[in-house]
Amino acid sequence: MIAASPFVSYLINGLTIGSFLALVALGYTMVYGIIRLINFAHGDLFMVGAFLGWTVLNVVASRLPIALSVLMALLVAMALTGALGTVISRMVYQPLLRAPRLSILIAALAVSLGLQNGVLLLYGPVPKTYPHVLPASGLSLAGVRVSYPQLGMFLLSLLLMGALYLFVHRTAVGTAMRALAMDQDAARLMGINVERHIMLAFFLGSLLAAAAGVMEGLYYTQISFFMGFLIGLRAFTAAVLGGIGNIPGAMVAGFLIGLLQSFSAGYLSAQWTDVFVFVVLILVLVVKPTGLFGERVVERM
Amino acid sequence: MSRRRETALVLTGPRVGRPLAALRRHSLALLLLAALLFPLVADPYALDVGITVLTFAMLGIGLNIVVGYAGLLDLGYAAFFAIGAYTSALLSLHLHVGFWEGLPLCILAAAVSGAIIGYPTLRLRSDYLAIVTLGFGEIVRITATNLTGLTGGPNGLYGLPVPKIGHFELTSQRSLYLLGFAFLLVSLGFSWALFHSRLGRAWNSVREDETAAEAAGIPTVRVKLLAYVLGAVVAGLAGPFFAARFGAIDPTSFTFLQSVTILTVVVVGGMGSLPGMLVGAVVVQGLPELLRAVARWRLLAFAFALVLLMQFRPQGLWPVPHVRRDPFAGLPEEPDAQATPAAAPQGEVLLHVHGLVKRFGGVAAVDQASFEVRRGEILSIIGPNGAGKTTVFNCVTGLIRSNRGEVRLAGRSLRRLRPHQVVSLGMARTFQGIRLFKGMSVYENVMVGAYPTQLGGLWRGITHLHLRRETDLRNRLHARRWLRFVGLEDKAARLASELAYGEQRRLEIARALASEPQLLLLDEPGAGTNPSEKNDLMELIRRARGEGVTVLLIEHDMRLVMGISDRVVVMDQGRILTEGTPAEVQRDERVIEAYLGREDESGWEIEEEVATRPS
Repeated sequence: MIAASPFVSYLINGLTIGSFLALVALGYTMVYGIIRLINFAHGDLFMVGAFLGWTVLNVVASRLPIALSVLMALLVAMALTGALGTVISRMVYQPLLRAPRLSILIAALAVSLGLQNGVLLLYGPVPKTYPHVLPASGLSLAGVRVSYPQLGMFLLSLLLMGALYLFVHRTAVGTAMRALAMDQDAARLMGINVERHIMLAFFLGSLLAAAAGVMEGLYYTQISFFMGFLIGLRAFTAAVLGGIGNIPGAMVAGFLIGLLQSFSAGYLSAQWTDVFVFVVLILVLVVKPTGLFGERVVERM
Repeated sequence: MSRRRETALVLTGPRVGRPLAALRRHSLALLLLAALLFPLVADPYALDVGITVLTFAMLGIGLNIVVGYAGLLDLGYAAFFAIGAYTSALLSLHLHVGFWEGLPLCILAAAVSGAIIGYPTLRLRSDYLAIVTLGFGEIVRITATNLTGLTGGPNGLYGLPVPKIGHFELTSQRSLYLLGFAFLLVSLGFSWALFHSRLGRAWNSVREDETAAEAAGIPTVRVKLLAYVLGAVVAGLAGPFFAARFGAIDPTSFTFLQSVTILTVVVVGGMGSLPGMLVGAVVVQGLPELLRAVARWRLLAFAFALVLLMQFRPQGLWPVPHVRRDPFAGLPEEPDAQATPAAAPQGEVLLHVHGLVKRFGGVAAVDQASFEVRRGEILSIIGPNGAGKTTVFNCVTGLIRSNRGEVRLAGRSLRRLRPHQVVSLGMARTFQGIRLFKGMSVYENVMVGAYPTQLGGLWRGITHLHLRRETDLRNRLHARRWLRFVGLEDKAARLASELAYGEQRRLEIARALASEPQLLLLDEPGAGTNPSEKNDLMELIRRARGEGVTVLLIEHDMRLVMGISDRVVVMDQGRILTEGTPAEVQRDERVIEAYLGREDESGWEIEEEVATRPS
């Protein structure tokens, strides 16, 4: 047997983390694109998704086949978290759309604090452990084992991202969302129901975050009420790196941050990972102030 | 939305009840008095909370300079707090520098780090700024956690000496509270002085409209950098106090959450408002303490309260009231200082534009444009929509960079100059779609326009304190002169957004004139005004010329153009079609073809309508 190359294993690990980050980053970028809000509560929706998935899995895992119970956990978590995100956008953010921009930002921070403490009250401070349901079997790639679940998650992430991309770029509703992102008032004059499309953006973003949350739970098995903070930070970084508001940009940058994180932890030091991530981000922004794939904003005189 | 409007009206409207108005006027003093008397009634626990409130009020005041005054988002402010605290701790532990001796160094360290974080971010829009400042905050925290040898790592630094005044050791809670109160007063004074300086107005203009600020002569890059540096200075004062209070520091005090808490103080209190910072600190640090009764539900309840607060008072608990005081009250009349400007040689070339090219993608918006403006004349540029007139303005004033060509003002090349430098060389402009600083008063708008002519930045403000009154008098006289010139003196205290459309046009002209330009560029000043306002405008332009100002004008209204211009330049599809006196141009076949239209086709009315629609 060939000695396992660390490079390939870091690569695979980076791609797996990257797919989670990309899914979460999409939520940041969509919401930002539409209402120019950095939704600080988004990482916490990821966390809520992970807890909902855990709850479902605990109930059904012993009664149903593994694949079916995982699927159920995913779907229920996605649907409920999507609904939660929609309600939050309707109740908290929409009344503030015309308020000073920092007020809505503070409201988002408050929602984040509320979600964390809500979960803390419901589930307690001790981290929860996902049931070990996934098979450990897999295939060998350049001497490195890739488990089937790992591969499955990666493919599922790609599938979700592809679906979102097609939805936003190929359907009438998606076109309306893009129009709304460019000019809310003009879109309203064209007969687009602005409020409903904003809620839809939140629904989709929260749903993707929940999918990432459940997968993270299955992959790392430990979840805690505070887990949304760090991934939220990194996903937000990815969204900015990709050019905030830019959907394909967020996907690519999510993978880039995942790889950066994995390689710097592997070759350099895990303690300094976030420093590397942020230094790279700052350097990129200094050279390209609108992110790697951002469009330039045209200033009207 | 309507609800918000109403509250804003009540708060800022002229009819605030008298007792309330009095309360508002002395609010800061009353709040400070309450804070000073607090130790007399507080038990040790409350006093402890009180010291925390003082610290956060101080931090709020510092962050407010960045967020409230300059409108820049900063999510990593705790980093400056950390740098102040760690500098103080390291100085006293390793070099045995006393608290007071170390204080200037702590402030310096924070200011330098403010410059470091400010510098790369200056080109970024505020949303990108958010993540960069957040990243900077995290980098500082992680570094403090990982550099175990220097910073003690996760355990931090402890056993810091107690600060002394003379031989008196500040160990008791009460003495620490008073130290914090003194620091708070210093921060307040610092922030207050900044706000009322030329720099403070420049910050506000950047917050309102950065492009317009740059075009009005504000060096926006330097001004934004100074906001970071001076905001950090206050954290550099709060940090050592924090370290001295506990005698120990560790990285958990300087997390992202801490930055967010400080930002919450600013927004909850009311951005830009100094009493608001005290109120914000009391609410953000005090409210969770009051909620201790509900123990486990405390933070959840706080989150709910915060959401509700933002719903009902998005402008904060104590927003800046718009003071409707006449800025010219008690100002002496000038002894008719209308000294006609030294007769500048008429007719020499003032603005020289040669071979100007600007491409957007494959389209040449301006294609080899050359023309000259002679001193003392009124020159108009006319041409159909999309002819490239405004693009010429934008290239000439440095707002956008041309691909090729030469621009000289009074013989001096303007190549690669930033808009504010062009203004200080004597060329000011207005915008087609009026760009005033809407949230500022009419008076303040003109004061921003006068920025290049005013003395006194921060440094001068401190070193020339005795001249403050004189400088202030000079600046106010100057502002009044130009407001009077455009007939808006009696509306000086109004908000710019409250003016009627034609008045806004005139205010924008006054703002440009306040920079004392040699050449004034007006971009469709007549758009959207009625015939009688157009007559006033023509008269105003003539009077400006009478003050020695040369005028370059873009305008669609032919009556206006032909009525006041000495010469007319006609543009079509990026090129100069022809130039000459109004009479010559009106007879030119090509001009009629491209732009004016034949009268029998009744093209005039249509042109008029298109031209006067505000864009």
